Amino acid sequence: MAMETEYAQVQTEVIDRLVLCGGLSETCRLSEWVQSLAARYCIDDELEFAIHLCLEEAVSNIIRHGYPPGTIEPVTVEFSCPREGGLMFTVEDSARPFNPVLEPVMPVLDTGDELTIGGRGVRLLRAFAHVLEYDRTTTGNRLRIGFKDPRLQALMSTRMVSQP
Amino acid sequence: MEIATEELPGEITRVILAGSLDIAGAAAIDLRMNVIAGAKRTVLVDLRQVSFIGSMGLSALVAPARAIKSRGGKMVLFGPNQLVARVLRASLVDTIIPVYNDLEAAIAAVR
Repeated sequence: MAMETEYAQVQTEVIDRLVLCGGLSETCRLSEWVQSLAARYCIDDELEFAIHLCLEEAVSNIIRHGYPPGTIEPVTVEFSCPREGGLMFTVEDSARPFNPVLEPVMPVLDTGDELTIGGRGVRLLRAFAHVLEYDRTTTGNRLRIGFKDPRLQALMSTRMVSQP
Repeated sequence: MEIATEELPGEITRVILAGSLDIAGAAAIDLRMNVIAGAKRTVLVDLRQVSFIGSMGLSALVAPARAIKSRGGKMVLFGPNQLVARVLRASLVDTIIPVYNDLEAAIAAVR
């Protein structure tokens, strides 16, 4: 998918928020949350899959590599719609600096011509997200993961007006 | 996430996976896949009932594929749905573990 960098300047209202505090075992809440958003906003299966995949890659990477071993810190995911037909998920942590936008992707085979086990998360993020933007914050990292779906344009406008 | 095995003629083992190969799903099959990889030489992994796969799920396939290959055996995948197939392509896993559309093609490839 073609990457764009355009959400950083957009002020947007957070529609929903998920805070994960329990390490990898809590990531099942992430898929449940994405499922509930998909049901609420009539997100189709393909886009739901891409959202689930990108959020799982981003969050699991933070939990596994962002903090010293044995340390568990909260990871916050916020959902917003910066423009009609666009969905944005902002992932924030207080982990060591990590910019997946600039991170080099790992080779499929290692130096011994063996299959490598890790390093696929960044590749998948870049393949399935429409927008990836990164900021280093004063306390950690902020990653914006955007998706576009023109079909959502009218629907999101209607639903957002009717939300309490 | 569910995992089952079936022995096919020619000492071929079919591993049937069903469910979401997310973080929890990968953890659920990890041990069983490692045991299979340590004991079997020709393994077909049936992905027809896998609805989702992330990088942890990919690792749960790549690690046993590597172990089987190191013992001179072969592991192949077959039957991924369109989205799972896209993950296999985007991650380039399909370049290192062969992927086939159906069981017959997978069996033909390992015979």
